Amino acid sequence: MSTKTETELPLRQRIAENPQPALVWAAVGAVLIGVELGAVLQVFGALAGVIVNLLPGDPGAATVASLQESLKSIPTLVSRDVIPNQGYWDGSQYVGTFLGLSPAAAWAVRFVLVYAYAFAVLAWLWDGYNRFRRHYRRVDWTPRDDVIDRFRGHSWGEFGLIITIMFVVMAVFAPAVGPTTMEKNILQPYDYEISYFDEETESVETALVGEANIGSGSQGAGDENVGPMSYDDFGRFHPFGTATNGKDLFTQVVFGARISLTIATLSIGIAGLIGLALAMITAYYKGLADMVVVLASDSIQSLPLIMVLILMLVIFQNTWVRELYDGAVLIILIFSLVYWPFIWRAIRGPAFQVSEQDWIDAAKSFGQTPGQVMRKHMAPYVFSYMLIYASLSLGGIIISVAGLSYLNLGITAPTPEWGRLIADGQQYVASPSWHISFIPGVLITLVVTGLNAFGDGIRDAIDPQADTGENETAAAGGGGA
Amino acid sequence: MSTTTTEEEEAVTRETQETLLEVNDLKTYYEDGGFLSSNPVKAVDGVSFDIKRGETLGLVGESGCGKSTLGRTLMRLEEATAGEVKLNGTDITTLSGADLKQFRRDVQMVFQDPDSSLNERMTVGEIVREPLDVHEWKTPKERRQRVRDLLETVGLQEQHYYRYPHQFSGGQRQRIGIARALALEPDFIILDEPVSALDVSVQAKILNLLEDLQEEFGLTYLFIAHDLAVVRHICDRVAVMYLGNIMEIGPSDEMFEAPANPYTHALLSSIPEPDPTTARDRITLRGTPPSPRDPPAGCPFSTRCPVKIRPDEYRSLDDDVWQRIEVFREVLRERSRVEPSISDRVRELLGRETHESGMDEILEELFGNLDVPNTVMEHINEAAEYAENDDEEAGRTYLREEFGSVCDRERPSQLGVGDQGRLSLCHRHEDEYDEPATVFESLVH
Repeated sequence: MSTKTETELPLRQRIAENPQPALVWAAVGAVLIGVELGAVLQVFGALAGVIVNLLPGDPGAATVASLQESLKSIPTLVSRDVIPNQGYWDGSQYVGTFLGLSPAAAWAVRFVLVYAYAFAVLAWLWDGYNRFRRHYRRVDWTPRDDVIDRFRGHSWGEFGLIITIMFVVMAVFAPAVGPTTMEKNILQPYDYEISYFDEETESVETALVGEANIGSGSQGAGDENVGPMSYDDFGRFHPFGTATNGKDLFTQVVFGARISLTIATLSIGIAGLIGLALAMITAYYKGLADMVVVLASDSIQSLPLIMVLILMLVIFQNTWVRELYDGAVLIILIFSLVYWPFIWRAIRGPAFQVSEQDWIDAAKSFGQTPGQVMRKHMAPYVFSYMLIYASLSLGGIIISVAGLSYLNLGITAPTPEWGRLIADGQQYVASPSWHISFIPGVLITLVVTGLNAFGDGIRDAIDPQADTGENETAAAGGGGA
Repeated sequence: MSTTTTEEEEAVTRETQETLLEVNDLKTYYEDGGFLSSNPVKAVDGVSFDIKRGETLGLVGESGCGKSTLGRTLMRLEEATAGEVKLNGTDITTLSGADLKQFRRDVQMVFQDPDSSLNERMTVGEIVREPLDVHEWKTPKERRQRVRDLLETVGLQEQHYYRYPHQFSGGQRQRIGIARALALEPDFIILDEPVSALDVSVQAKILNLLEDLQEEFGLTYLFIAHDLAVVRHICDRVAVMYLGNIMEIGPSDEMFEAPANPYTHALLSSIPEPDPTTARDRITLRGTPPSPRDPPAGCPFSTRCPVKIRPDEYRSLDDDVWQRIEVFREVLRERSRVEPSISDRVRELLGRETHESGMDEILEELFGNLDVPNTVMEHINEAAEYAENDDEEAGRTYLREEFGSVCDRERPSQLGVGDQGRLSLCHRHEDEYDEPATVFESLVH
């Protein structure tokens, strides 16, 4: 009888009986979230702003605006205000930088801190899972435990995971990681001033950012180049050097990561949902439903992907859809529409396989509804296959977006995009300004490799018997650009 | 003598028991989705029987005979093509909505493969609780308690609630499946080969469990199996299926002692005898069952029946010759089923010989070393002539008309055998013919 009462307890009571592991975990979590509370609240503030904007008449717009202002003033650990790197040399020391360090060192401190913080949060979450598993979970073992254990022994997959995490952190913390901000350096460079130490006059002068940018572009010649890890004439540090127009390359790269990641995850997310839903329906009902979807997907798949993208983007060139999020919304819609057949095709087989299992008949026999049968008895088995295919396709989409931007069709300027950076710097590859094309190019390769490795890892973890060797197809599918 | 009286008493009680399930001329055909040709697989081809409350009816037959399809049709997992299935007097083949949902409570199924019948991503508790959730049985708390009780009922432990099916052996997993079937307190459970995937030692335990549960909850079972020993052990009555038809149905003891139908005869003679010293007359059937797309016009068993009725003029024909004729008819039947391949068609268009020909060799092989009367051989040559010209159908018709009997022409009806309501599908039970048992006797000796 004692076992009965024990297992009957809800989670809250189980924690109350053995509170120590949960309390330690919660305390660490409070500290971790506390130091970034301002940023978290700002996200909610921004969301509130969006919602107010959507409501007719913008009720309480002023309140939201003042709320956003006050939220901005809350200091957070890894923000530019706490660890500033934009100062100047006044002849004897640095003014305005963190602890009087050089701008390069101050930026490095912030950069390292961002990644340290991100990995600390992930470690905290992992620890939380382990604590739950050890102390509070009612089952000793689930099939998912084996998946996680297998993934932990898969070094290629872990390499992919780490690359993926670094890429995601770069995108999420883009404003904090860059040596300067989008607004100051890229969008409105003539609205902001910087101070710098003029060697000739030996005094601190001021200049508009835009003017400084013109003087520090990388155009290939020796004196017109700001390479990686160097200062320009205005005392600004550029970790990746500058672009042709003198704007900071690193800032553009991190914000470019943001837009690439958004497009890739949203497109694959929508395409995956469509593909999964259709896979469930076709596998459950078979016959006519299957044939209709086969016809639809074959029609879409027979179109050359990159041609469709170019055509659609040209057709929608001057419409309002093209304006949303610098063209990203349109790209997301097109990608989801052309990618779902690939995902559906990839998971149709497993879906049909699971639909033949006796437990589906068992569920039907006691009157389970078709929707629940699909959700409880079929989707969990197919979802993992979808995850594998999605992670492998992400790389393809990132390449495609970069390819479109390279052709000047994708994300509109001045919003930074990796493909456009490569196109801009292409003519300087063999010159001292090689970094403009080279660095984004290497990063794309690295991220796509990482995502593929991650996908391989998930596949091997989920299905140890699955045969390997077709991981190239997904990346190549979208990589026609 | 005492056994006879108890058997008679049993027969009497059976009469008085109410009928739980009544199946009338049930047919389940599978369309193969072809747009033009409609030649369905006749998996269940006109089956009638009934099951009394509290009884166990065994359903046996070779694999592919339609017994699982019959079970699935009764379960409404397949739609019946024709006929009716009455549960407690209501026809369930047309139920929908709330009535169908109620039916789903009253009838449950235990599946053959314990590996495939339990969703591996759910805990045992969730699996057994799902039927209760679907039918919103009482409160969630009471449902959890009921699942715990059920786990104990089927011989598992309460703390198995939070385990996954992976952590159990085959027998234990079958117990979980049984617990799930019991959850909604059904009247009627269809057991689709519940023990055939298990070790022999475990089989006995599960069978005993099923018997105990039947007694405890007053359950009615339809026990589908191909293991005759198991059926004899657990079933009150047995139905023997062949090619979508019930060949014989009746009390199991009587049927195992003295099978009436020729097919039952053959089937029972295939049970291995543990005692090697007993002399046995094993009947080996020739050939394979015909395709359920193209079942024989008369008796379903007519193509393989060792005691098939002969036409009067051939009654005195040598047994060996008669058997070869039957084999020849089967050869033609098989050949007519084979679609000519593309290369065959090309050869035919070019006027070359297709490899399908070679009737001469076939005839030589079948009848070469036998002394065949000339009249018979003429008929055979005539039929072979048709087949040579790629018209197997005409050859088959010719042979059927010449050598066919009532078995080939007319579908037998179920005739009463014995005094306990046993029915058997065979022309030989009619008065004008010898009983199958008599003929078997003469065949063996």
